Amino acid sequence: MNYILHLLIMINIYLILAFSLNLLVGYTGLLSIAQAGFYGIGAYISTLLVMKLGINFFIALPISIILAMCLSLLVSVPSIRLKGDYFILATLGFQAVIYGVLYNWVSLTRGPYGIPGIPRPNLFGFEFGSIPSYFILSGILALLVFFIFRRIVLSPFGRTLKAIREDEIAAMGLGKNITKFKIICFTISAGIAAIAGALYAGYITYIDPTSFTIYESIFILSMIIIGGTGNMKGPVVGVLLVILIPEALRFLKIPDNIAANARQMIYGMLLVILMYFRPQGIAGEYKYE
Amino acid sequence: MILQVIANGIIAGCVYALVALGFGLIYKTTRVLHFAHGAVYTASAYAFYSLSILLSISTVISVIIALSVGIVLGIAVESFLYYPLYNKKVPFVISFISSMGIYLFLINLIAMLFGNEVKILQPGLEKTYQFAGVILTRTQIIEVIVFVIVFFGFYIFMKKSGLGRLIRALSNNPELATVLGMNVRKTRILVFGLGSLLASISGLLVALDIGIDPNIGFSAIFVCAVAVIIGGVDLFEGAVLGAFLLGLIQNIIIWKLSARWQEAITFGILIIFLLLRPQGILSYKKRMEEISQ
Repeated sequence: MNYILHLLIMINIYLILAFSLNLLVGYTGLLSIAQAGFYGIGAYISTLLVMKLGINFFIALPISIILAMCLSLLVSVPSIRLKGDYFILATLGFQAVIYGVLYNWVSLTRGPYGIPGIPRPNLFGFEFGSIPSYFILSGILALLVFFIFRRIVLSPFGRTLKAIREDEIAAMGLGKNITKFKIICFTISAGIAAIAGALYAGYITYIDPTSFTIYESIFILSMIIIGGTGNMKGPVVGVLLVILIPEALRFLKIPDNIAANARQMIYGMLLVILMYFRPQGIAGEYKYE
Repeated sequence: MILQVIANGIIAGCVYALVALGFGLIYKTTRVLHFAHGAVYTASAYAFYSLSILLSISTVISVIIALSVGIVLGIAVESFLYYPLYNKKVPFVISFISSMGIYLFLINLIAMLFGNEVKILQPGLEKTYQFAGVILTRTQIIEVIVFVIVFFGFYIFMKKSGLGRLIRALSNNPELATVLGMNVRKTRILVFGLGSLLASISGLLVALDIGIDPNIGFSAIFVCAVAVIIGGVDLFEGAVLGAFLLGLIQNIIIWKLSARWQEAITFGILIIFLLLRPQGILSYKKRMEEISQ
């Protein structure tokens, strides 16, 4: 039972990440490979606030969201008005920097040793210590993110994002400041990814830089590309598939040291095959045109 | 001391420049952000490692086979992946995601076969030489010599030979080149072969110098992409200039601060250039709309 709840908690965390990236890739047509960076920022900042300053998790969470949003401006402001390749490169660089800082700033983050013993979140004396209660917490946050996401994409703001994705010049011609819209979208996406990070740190109670590498970014991206982007059901399908299929493989008794690599090889091949035959993914809308 | 730092910077620049030349050539000619270039680089380094260390084949033969592995891999990625996508006229995002998929596949294949740990090819201290207060290891001298030979070979090939002219024609105006009856397919294969050869040479040099692990390709590709952007995409001399500039700045920062901030410095330089001069140092005069599409 706890195993199933654990899977559901991980699904909730990845759903939050998938929604944050879907807003960017699927709705605005901006490809980012820095999502694991913002995920890591959320995890580390909330953890450091909780452990070093003794701040409650539910106050640390919004602070880490705001800091992740501020840091995202460092990428978006210089690169977003340039060609798509430059933006990808800037996100790639940001991802490398975040990993480098987490790994090397030993006095703050303990570097490769990671931070163990992170306390579980605590609300008015109630500790989300057990797995069922953490499942409820993660479920509430995932639902909240889903409603925020739904509210954004159905609003005039969301429709403008779609218009930018379909035809930037037409959107500009209608008087939309596309640079501003893109920057806002990237900022919101970074903030949402930080929520997932804080949730992850509070759940696993141990974080180290290897959870927030470029491979994690590609993993999050492949989740939404496999499921499909540009609507609400695509990312959900992607997350369920990508989380549950490896769990099914676990029963095939593949040795652990090979399993991790084999999984990533499968994702890599899936990306290639999907891009050729079905760029909109399994249940998506946007075809990257 | 400052001389030593400059020497280190130039040597780092030589190695970056080789990868950046190939990456820039491919990017400029085919408009593919060739992320899998990093996998080619890593694969040839591992090929060299398994031939010369694990199977103890003589160095010359290992080098030749390892370079061929890189070239074949690069051409295979082009023929089975990018060219079909090019025929479908897909936007660059799709070819980039495919490239990332191939990278992920190849890197994990390598990790599965050889393990994730760092492998050192030359254990123990190397023989060093001293010139005017600058200490260089034997591998570093080889790096510089190889770079000089390869760069001048490449320069003459691009400027003087017919094939080089074909490549330049394709990169300047793909539509016109096709209309004039150029064989795009063959030229693209040539570009990927040549680019992969340059990446493989650099991969072997780095393997000899600091050893290999499956992730070396990622930082190489990031540094080189930045070198291409800051040097200027239009001219291949730009990639070399960018690579030397990055190598020098990084080594000065390492000397003054510490090696930990290397990625942050590279990223900082990229951001400064994107803000102030997104077309790079060497480039044709352009309007803003041509850079921001």
